[in-house]
Amino acid sequence: MNSLTLERVSFWYPATEAPALRDVSLEVAQGEIVALVGAVGAGASTVLLAAGDLAPRLTGGRIVGTVSRRERSAIVLPTPWTQVSGLAFTVWDEVAFGPANLGWPTHEIARQVDRALEHLELGPLATRDPATLSGGELQRVIIAATLAMDSGLVLFDEPAAELDAEGARKLWRLIRVLAKEGKAVLLATSALDALPDVADRLVWLEDGAVRAVGTPELLADVAACDAGLGTSVATVWGASGLPGPYPLTVAHAVRRWR
Amino acid sequence: MTGRRLHPFTLLAIAGALPALAWILPAPAGGACTAAVALVLTASRGLRRGLWPAVLTAAPFWVFLRLLHDVPTTIAIGLRITTMVASFVWLAATLAPDRLVEATVARGWSVTAAYLFAATITAVPMLRGRARRIVEAQRCRGLSPRGSLGNRLRALRALALPLVLSALHDVDERALALETRGMVSGARRTPLAPPPDSAVERAARWALLVACVAALIWRLK
Amino acid sequence: MIPALRFDGVTFSYGAVAVLHGLSFAITPGERVALLGKNGAGKSTVVRLIAGLERPGEGTVWVGDWNTRDCVPEQLAWRVGSVFQHADQQLFARTVREDVSFGPRALGVGEPEVERRTDRALADLDLTAHAGHHPYDLPPALRKLAALAGALALEPALLVLDEPTIGLDRALRARVTRALLDRSAGSVALLVITHDLTFAAETLERGLVLDRGSLACDEPLAGLLGDVTRLEPLGLAPPPVAALSVALDLPGRPVRAADAARALARVARGRPGP
Repeated sequence: MNSLTLERVSFWYPATEAPALRDVSLEVAQGEIVALVGAVGAGASTVLLAAGDLAPRLTGGRIVGTVSRRERSAIVLPTPWTQVSGLAFTVWDEVAFGPANLGWPTHEIARQVDRALEHLELGPLATRDPATLSGGELQRVIIAATLAMDSGLVLFDEPAAELDAEGARKLWRLIRVLAKEGKAVLLATSALDALPDVADRLVWLEDGAVRAVGTPELLADVAACDAGLGTSVATVWGASGLPGPYPLTVAHAVRRWR
Repeated sequence: MTGRRLHPFTLLAIAGALPALAWILPAPAGGACTAAVALVLTASRGLRRGLWPAVLTAAPFWVFLRLLHDVPTTIAIGLRITTMVASFVWLAATLAPDRLVEATVARGWSVTAAYLFAATITAVPMLRGRARRIVEAQRCRGLSPRGSLGNRLRALRALALPLVLSALHDVDERALALETRGMVSGARRTPLAPPPDSAVERAARWALLVACVAALIWRLK
Repeated sequence: MIPALRFDGVTFSYGAVAVLHGLSFAITPGERVALLGKNGAGKSTVVRLIAGLERPGEGTVWVGDWNTRDCVPEQLAWRVGSVFQHADQQLFARTVREDVSFGPRALGVGEPEVERRTDRALADLDLTAHAGHHPYDLPPALRKLAALAGALALEPALLVLDEPTIGLDRALRARVTRALLDRSAGSVALLVITHDLTFAAETLERGLVLDRGSLACDEPLAGLLGDVTRLEPLGLAPPPVAALSVALDLPGRPVRAADAARALARVARGRPGP
């Protein structure tokens, strides 16, 4: 069952001639994690905005093609400080902001907020003022706030950008948990080395168009490595002149080596 | 500040009534009284957050007025403007934006309008934080806030422009980001912690409104 | 030789919260150092102390032979080029070129010299094509590069960068690596805070690891990055190339991609065929 379907979507930002998206088609099923990869400016953020019904409705611009959603969606932007409500003086209230806006009863709000805080290990920070948090802490708070809205489709734009190594690891684990709970996840990330353990499918975007779709094995393709989109291991293997197919991770490389 | 916190609507009523009365009542006595009350209120918020900003913001107006008018008119208008400025500074320092939104929601009124008002108040500390970061970044590039007038003007430009540009850029993103947090117009928000109201405060608000109307009628006669 | 940067028993607290305890280390001209550690370990505070935005509670921060206690940030700009996080928010000029030249001009350097430094900084980061654009017309990733170019244009003896690669793709990260290696070859010292251990492996040579305000580790990255037993207690994990070198037991345990590729090729050639 597809939670999200983009069918031949092209999109132009206002007052721009060149399309940001060209004829993009993709689906995300319930319980699936799909990752968008590509160079800066390839269109991953725009796909997420279109998927979240924010483009063109709020960004302006023109869209061609259809975007269909079977679920309510929630998005984590790459700039967490813009998503802060500005009205909450504790982390708890900040996370409760979204659910409250959805009009849920207070006991349900409390349940969702406590669950989200637990998922993101934010218990110790629950009473802190969001304005005093570091970039990484704020990103985790916004992720929790997004999860608390309990949407069936969750969109992430570079969610690990501000996190340290441990924070990033926990985030990828959490995203897998979300998928197991049945949510559909679409995420854009440049953390290619993490993707083999996280994503079920990849969509490779180039200049606003879909260049390839496949499993994370895509990141070991010769073409991907040449385009700078291979995993570190695959890229090194390719650069050494050894024949393809290249191994995706260290574990794959060890197996090949024997 | 001790004592039970006043309901946000009461704060709004006071901050609205003082300037209204300042303009309605005969100058300079009316303006003097309201300005005095407003300044005392700002002083109750402390020197740094209350009295000093109020005085600093009102002072240029007095200078400007004196350039244009004679002394009596300057005093008359100056006192009224001081009341307005001080009332707003007091309001910004006292009104907790989240309580205002909660109070509005508890009444079942549109949350978007309340949020816009609340957001202007919270914008100030946010911009202050960003301004500080920009000042630091520019100083680390050699910008000296001291020196000749030309230097200082260059400094101002290097500080004000990034603040305004990034703030405007942010406003764009924020409008979008708020939607992502469920702030859709027409949505019925659940109040999380509606501020308590009392009959006394409600009566006081009505009394302020009546006082303003009565003063207006009296002046117009 | 005077170190480009020296921390001498530096202790620092924000109010009652102690952030740095007796921190001591030195960086020589041309040395490339990574400042690693979990969020909250005190790394950004180190940057602020170097830039002169804070003074140490105890101990001394020496930038060259200047004691930061005696300096203001605009003075230290003669010797230190700092780029903070979210530097893309500090851009203000009408064009990228004008913004990049802001630093050297503020220092009072002559106009021809300003031009030369600006051109060089833009070229180092492949931004020359965007020099005439308005900074806010550029995507955030390129704005970050423009902010970095602004620091390069100061041509300082020490570059201090706080997370310079967040939001950059591999190609842009490679540009940053090239630009920094080029400067370091000219005896510029580098101190870079980063979570990206792959970037650190490619660009830097020595690792200082901060753990709760103290120096937990000060050693060459080549050895550190492959050592799981050292990294794990610090909340870090070996980057893929280092992990690959260890797993395949490549000679020299290279941590940089190009070195690993060469080692891999050499070993593969020496092996009996499948």
